[in-house]
Amino acid sequence: MKRYALAALIIVLSLLVLLPFLWIFSTSLKPLSEVNQYPPEWFSPNMSLKPYADMFFFMPFGIYALNSTIVASSATIITLFVGSLGAFAFSRFQFAGKRVFLLVFLLSQMLPGASVIIPLFQLLKEIGLYDTHVGLILVHSAVLLPFVIWLLYGFFQGIPREVEDAALIDGCSRLSALRRVILPLALPGIGATALFAFLGSWNEFFFALILTSSDATKTIPVGIGLFVGEYNDLWNQMAASAVLFSLPPLMLFALMRKTFVKGLAAGAVK
Amino acid sequence: MVEIQDWNFGGRPRLMVWLRQRIESFEATHPGIKVVQSDKSWNMIREILYTSFSTGTGPDVVNTHANYAAEFGEAGYYYPVNKFPDFDSVKQWFVPELLESTRYKDNYYGLPSSAIAFILVCNRQLFDAAHIAPPRTWSEFRSAARSLTRDTDGDGHIDQFGLVLMGGDKGGFAYRMVPFFYKAGADFMSDDLTRVEFNSPAGVAALTLFAEMYQIDRSITPGFLAYGHSETNDLFCGNRAAMAIEGPWVRGMVNEMSPGKDVFVVSIPVPDSLLDQYETLPTLQDMVMYSVNAHSRNLEASWEFVKYLRNEEADMAWIREDLGAVATTNFAFNSPEAQNVKDLPLYINELRHARPLPTHPRIIALASNTFTPFCQKAIVGELTPKAALDQAAREAQEVIENTK
Amino acid sequence: MKKATPYLLLLPALLFTAFVLGYPLVQNLVNSVRDVSLVSGVGGWVGLSNYANVLDDPLFLSSLRNTLIYALVGTILALVIGLGFALLLNMKIGRITTIASFLYTIPWVISPVVAGFSWKWLLNDHFGIINYWLSSAELIDAGTSWLGDPQTVLACVIFARVWQFYPFAMVMFLAGLQAIPLEQYEAAAVDGATMFRRFFHITIPNLKPVFSVLLVLGVIWSFNDFNIVFVMTRGGPMNASMVLPVLVREFSFVFFDLGKGSALSVMTFMLLVTLSFLYLRIISGRESA
Repeated sequence: MKRYALAALIIVLSLLVLLPFLWIFSTSLKPLSEVNQYPPEWFSPNMSLKPYADMFFFMPFGIYALNSTIVASSATIITLFVGSLGAFAFSRFQFAGKRVFLLVFLLSQMLPGASVIIPLFQLLKEIGLYDTHVGLILVHSAVLLPFVIWLLYGFFQGIPREVEDAALIDGCSRLSALRRVILPLALPGIGATALFAFLGSWNEFFFALILTSSDATKTIPVGIGLFVGEYNDLWNQMAASAVLFSLPPLMLFALMRKTFVKGLAAGAVK
Repeated sequence: MVEIQDWNFGGRPRLMVWLRQRIESFEATHPGIKVVQSDKSWNMIREILYTSFSTGTGPDVVNTHANYAAEFGEAGYYYPVNKFPDFDSVKQWFVPELLESTRYKDNYYGLPSSAIAFILVCNRQLFDAAHIAPPRTWSEFRSAARSLTRDTDGDGHIDQFGLVLMGGDKGGFAYRMVPFFYKAGADFMSDDLTRVEFNSPAGVAALTLFAEMYQIDRSITPGFLAYGHSETNDLFCGNRAAMAIEGPWVRGMVNEMSPGKDVFVVSIPVPDSLLDQYETLPTLQDMVMYSVNAHSRNLEASWEFVKYLRNEEADMAWIREDLGAVATTNFAFNSPEAQNVKDLPLYINELRHARPLPTHPRIIALASNTFTPFCQKAIVGELTPKAALDQAAREAQEVIENTK
Repeated sequence: MKKATPYLLLLPALLFTAFVLGYPLVQNLVNSVRDVSLVSGVGGWVGLSNYANVLDDPLFLSSLRNTLIYALVGTILALVIGLGFALLLNMKIGRITTIASFLYTIPWVISPVVAGFSWKWLLNDHFGIINYWLSSAELIDAGTSWLGDPQTVLACVIFARVWQFYPFAMVMFLAGLQAIPLEQYEAAAVDGATMFRRFFHITIPNLKPVFSVLLVLGVIWSFNDFNIVFVMTRGGPMNASMVLPVLVREFSFVFFDLGKGSALSVMTFMLLVTLSFLYLRIISGRESA
């Protein structure tokens, strides 16, 4: 009896939590004249997939999706690589200034986007990386790095030293111990971190808006912004692009869910 | 082969289609020039423009509101097009009052693209059912709003309102208040741009009209502070609001949302005592212009492109197609076709008398961030209209003084 | 060589940080003491007058207050809800739990911009489904405005923020719960402890580190969270939901007064640094006690 009560609670909560997403999905299938009605309806008389087709007029969705994928994947790989090195340093070494460096990484998240954007824009422009994939990837990587380091630091802490020491006794260098021993053990944690990083870059709107200009570099969030106009908004097409846009991260999440939680449990939260 | 960048902010799909076609025919008739066109988010126009122009990047050609002439002209971002040798003949194309909106100090910073005059739109279905004619005076306006505020389904709650206001969009809200100020004879600023004048008795009277409609008649939609144009459109087309303050886009927008729905488009109501001047009192004019980047490396090519977008052949598109705004050339204004397009004669007449917001470099900030919040406070009753406008005037005066 | 290893390992990360924190911070500091605006370009030294302008600005105090409420209430609520969901999911009643644990993370996967827009529509006074349900159940009057009422708007944006952020807390708490050694619970069961006592004496203490970290991160991220408020209300109505990041944007991009925007950015930064410092002091003080 208690099980069924719990199950019912879980289901009700699911529906509440998903309400906005269900609403977006419903909106993405309606013609514009039926989007907002009173009383509000989940289903309207002329629902179809037309908004999904129409949205391509405003956005070359395929190109933008490709750009989003390139940027998010590259940023993830870079942050994992650079972050692993840094987290390894924090976890396995004692050195002067360690606390200061940790603090610096925390501090770097404390500047609002609006104040970072103009200096960054000028900098990228100077070095010729404005409106390029590389430029946006570097910015995203830098923004995500502190959090990635912190997460990986936790995972590495969760791996007992004895494992490494055994490898060292066998003649490995520190770095190759990292590669051959620690990383494989930390794989679930790294998977979890990769997911965080990917999501952070995939959904990022503000920097992508300002630092890209041509269709060849724009990401999907930038494209979504085009549906909100001066005199009218195309809610149904915007909803359609939002649904498509959410699918890749949702699929990634669904696939990696088990590793994700296992990874976190393995050490981050000590 | 010269390449120029054109950034397009906003625009309905029809306009974007037209633009792309126009670019194609431009490139066909101007073989040495290639136009790279990019659509940008209208919502984030200021962030995008500032970051680009302040670093010396930015497109060669861009469309912005004529208000930007003062700001970007002063900052040296827009090229004074009067410096092009053929400007004297080009300027003959345009209705003089409209061309003046792109002028700041002694230079012109763009060519008019399309014009807007603010008018009152009335929901025909609701007006006919109540046997009311569209209002011409403030008294008629107030009484129409009162009559059309009712409980339609008998559940004890008012669900239809006389007037819907767009309070959630700070700039848009200012644009809907100012027409009433102008029609009442109040100016926003003095002609020499040194003093604000919206707190004159005429201005206070205009604001008091809305304050009383909201607080006493309760004929203005209560949630107006959160409404952007989407909410306003939905309420109007859903028959929950009988009147709204809009512009040339309104008939097309209503048709899209509720095909077949008919509306009355009329001038903004005037104070009772000024009824004899109904045809000539000014409403608010707003305009989009095409400008050339002062740092463009292809000034000549950019100017050719801008002219091609604005010549008579191009301008007739604003008459023939429903692009959401009004043409700006004499040719289009005087063309016989113009007389046959619904509402166009009204808009053209309004535009001949309309006045834009003052061409002060800080006008956008003043309207959105000083004027709007205080007007809203007066309407909901936090301040009296006179106190609100006086305080707004004080703050605005400080901003003006700090502008160097 | 060996001594240098950790520094070398940290070097790439530090370079990135210099790029995204160091350079912009320095630029902001520099701009905040100069007269930088669109109209006048980059002007000369003006001392601390930009900071004075910020402090004098009628919106500064109210934005600061709103931001503190948004960050603290939003984060704490998200943590409480996240913990609740984590406890629920931890009961593991089979397939449903697996599916639910995926579904419950969806708010966080959705882009903040999209989340903001959809809550804006759900809360619409006439066409939103929430008002429809609440007024059909006769709990409120039809047409009640949530986003248009200065009294309720802050609660609305906090609500959207909590909806977006709780999954992150939930996932971290879930992991934390699963990391609690079972022996602790078994020992307690042997001692005859009730569920309540086990919760307060085992679960909560074990989760303290997670809670601390989530609190600090959550508050920092909320402080700088621009998207939700901007998309839902733009800081309105009548600036009732104006928060510091949106105010920075107003100074910098509406008034084009970059000097003032930079000054406010520096002030926000210092405030966050101070808060984090104090908090870390407090918890390390407690731990050593």
